[in-house]
Amino acid sequence: MPPRTRTRTRARGLSAFSIVAFIAAVVLLALFPKFVENPYAVHLMVTFFLAVIMGEAWNLIGGYGGQYSVGHAAYFGIGAYTVLVLLQTNGVAPWWGLLPALALALGVAAIVGSITFRLRGPYFVLASIAVAEIFRLVALNWKSATNGAEGILLSGVPPIVIGGTEIVNFSSKVPFYYMGLALAVLTVLVTVWFQGSKLGYYLQAIREDQDAANSLGIPLTFYKNIALMISAFFTAWAGALYGLYVGFIDPQTAVGLDISVQIVLTAIIGGIGTVFGPVVGAAILVALSEALRSNAITDLLVAGGLVSETSSIGIFLKDHLSHAHMLIYGFLVAIVILFMPDGVLGAVNNAARRRRARAAAGGAR
Amino acid sequence: MSETDSPILDIQHVSKQFGGLAANSDVSFSMTEGMILGLIGPNGAGKTTLFNCITGYYPPTKGDVIFKGKRLNGMTPDQVCKLGMVRTWQKVRPLAKLSVIDNVVVGALVRTGSVPEAREIAREQLHVVKLAHKADFLAGGLPIGERKKLEVARVLATKPDLLLLDEVMGGLNPAESEDIIQLILEIKQRGLTQMVIEHDMKAIMRISDRIVVLNSGEKLAEGAPLEIVSNPEVVTAYLGEAHT
Amino acid sequence: MTIFLQSLLSGILIGGAYALIGVGLTIIFGVMRIINFAHGDLVMLGMYASYFLFTLGNVDPFVSIVFVFPLLFLFGAILQKTVINRVLNALPQNQILLTIGIGLILSNTMMLLFTSDYRIISTSYSSGSFRLGEISVSTPLLLSFGITGLVTAILYWFLLKTDTGQAIRATAQDRDAAQLMGVNVKRMSVLATGLGAGLAAVAGALISPTYYIFPQVGQPFTLKAFVIVVLGGMGSVMGATVGGIIIGATESLAGAYISSGLKDLVVYVLFLLILLFKPAGLFGKSRV
Repeated sequence: MPPRTRTRTRARGLSAFSIVAFIAAVVLLALFPKFVENPYAVHLMVTFFLAVIMGEAWNLIGGYGGQYSVGHAAYFGIGAYTVLVLLQTNGVAPWWGLLPALALALGVAAIVGSITFRLRGPYFVLASIAVAEIFRLVALNWKSATNGAEGILLSGVPPIVIGGTEIVNFSSKVPFYYMGLALAVLTVLVTVWFQGSKLGYYLQAIREDQDAANSLGIPLTFYKNIALMISAFFTAWAGALYGLYVGFIDPQTAVGLDISVQIVLTAIIGGIGTVFGPVVGAAILVALSEALRSNAITDLLVAGGLVSETSSIGIFLKDHLSHAHMLIYGFLVAIVILFMPDGVLGAVNNAARRRRARAAAGGAR
Repeated sequence: MSETDSPILDIQHVSKQFGGLAANSDVSFSMTEGMILGLIGPNGAGKTTLFNCITGYYPPTKGDVIFKGKRLNGMTPDQVCKLGMVRTWQKVRPLAKLSVIDNVVVGALVRTGSVPEAREIAREQLHVVKLAHKADFLAGGLPIGERKKLEVARVLATKPDLLLLDEVMGGLNPAESEDIIQLILEIKQRGLTQMVIEHDMKAIMRISDRIVVLNSGEKLAEGAPLEIVSNPEVVTAYLGEAHT
Repeated sequence: MTIFLQSLLSGILIGGAYALIGVGLTIIFGVMRIINFAHGDLVMLGMYASYFLFTLGNVDPFVSIVFVFPLLFLFGAILQKTVINRVLNALPQNQILLTIGIGLILSNTMMLLFTSDYRIISTSYSSGSFRLGEISVSTPLLLSFGITGLVTAILYWFLLKTDTGQAIRATAQDRDAAQLMGVNVKRMSVLATGLGAGLAAVAGALISPTYYIFPQVGQPFTLKAFVIVVLGGMGSVMGATVGGIIIGATESLAGAYISSGLKDLVVYVLFLLILLFKPAGLFGKSRV
């Protein structure tokens, strides 16, 4: 019997196990701030949620559609800048400011898509970078609105007040935690819907073979544009949330190439074109880069007796390693591309599939 | 429904130039509903170029393609497919990382927005080409014979009126070719019109109602299979070459 | 008119270094069909190499290229043999991501080793200039342009007249055909990457007296190199040479007439326009 290469049938959606695990995880995460009050832990989780939102959003066009945009910082920046500029200079409450921000992201995505989706492969990647750089330069030079390189420092996020009573107060990180969680769950649900929809099928067909897809009646640019718009919508939302949460943005941290690269890597490392790949990628990236940033790795080496804290190596690591947390992104992406091109989740699935195939072959004998 | 004597596809003086090179020059013929037209000619005769012109991959430099009374010039492949004309590829192009049935679902979705409905259509078409037992396999892992069948199932799922089959028997063993021949005849039974590019002369003589011979981009001859084999020009230009 | 000539001249002078960077990228692309997103970081390595040769060994930056080129050539060749070679047949997207990863590793390793402090090389001629009528000519830029010309001349001689150079060009034109003709394609890939890295580093060394040197300095050069290569036509050495000069001049003129903050924006808009309307570039063959 030949090795069976059965696919997990996509159209029937997630397995029962995934659904139960997902609901359990969401319930646990919803209860998390009730039991853990450590602001650092809450902060890490908000960072994780933001990474999930952006990874899932990119996954729609990049993972399912195979259109590797390395310019999603443009949409992230649009979200962050629109909301913060409106709040800081015009006093527009963020939940109102979010509407023009998201509308702008949709509009820009439609225009950018119509232009760049005529290009294929590496040319598309280059064009997406150029577009994002143009937005960064606009943020840098349009000083009257964006305050240029100095960036925007929020003086505070106004509380949500309904009928004279304060509903949400943003003095702690917890409201951001719940907003992040809600949006992360929403993007996962959107991905589940997307995967089983006509749109999702069409994007996967486009990823596999554009000419074949076109011959089967798929207008390529139209469907790529729709997927890019959904992707940009959630990326901009994440940008707005990020800006409000951190309280400071500048062209480099809100529209820089590093943002685009981090978004792509989140999806790639976890595994593209899967519902939970970006979640896995976000967990790995956030955990590892925080471990570097917070010197946890050096502490571990010291605790393990491998390096003395007072030795020159120990001092060197403490001084430098925290500044180079992007290093881990570099190594991770190299490892993933070289050794597990389907991402971490893909590698796990492949191994499981091989095991099943072996078991089936063994049983048949 | 158009009348039976008005052509479903009318190709009028189609020429295609690439730079200074004429891949097709002044090709004209027409097809009536339900017929199988065999398109033959030596390598480089411009058969696939003609397919590409007809289905909208590039516009003809000169001439018109009229399908069901509509002029197709300037239409894109997806629009042509929606009108009811669809092609397969000489070098098969499965959507490799999708399952066999999902490949066919993609084709079916051109006629419906509902994925469950598309899966129903896809299942039927897999039965037609006898690939139902492979529905959940990855398309990229199929052997060549089954890939060719998958291509046919996928285009059938778009509910076409006219199928353009580009060497669907290329690279197949005799038994597999016979399967495809039976499949083409079965499709004809269902009333679909087909244009078939094929190198296997025996096969093309068996299935075609009419044959068009291309040579160096021009139409060399057109007629019933028996007329074509006895046409001295065709014999020297094409068959003669093949028989030596 | 003086402003025009002044910016045009400065643009052309800096364009010489851009051309070297672009030529390196285009050779790597030509032979392996891989777009090297770590290319600017190789320029950065060249700048650091030149910096340390200057501060520790008192080697003049313009002389340092005799050491910098072989050093980075070796580095590029090893990188190709150990890492890039493994993705030659991978999806283009994955190749791009791998080189992005390499770039991150290079810049962050340099940051780890030498902090993100800005460094400068101050030679006796660093801020020197002389007047040519109304126009002032920067001495280090003129020197670097002259050496760029020399390096380019040697490169053209190598590519056109030597057997190895011709084999590289044959591989760039058609990898499969070259292989059939007995060209050792694997070796050519190693050579091309070494050559590309070496040229990028030489450019880095040549501009080191006029630039701040820090680990992130490479990124803008990567982007500029893409623009140059697309403008000249992917894979065309001639195109990249001319493209480098054009981009240098465009940038400089946009800086003078629009605003120095927006000069890069003009370059990127130009880039998008070329991609859309003349994707084959000035000297490339159209790939439809």
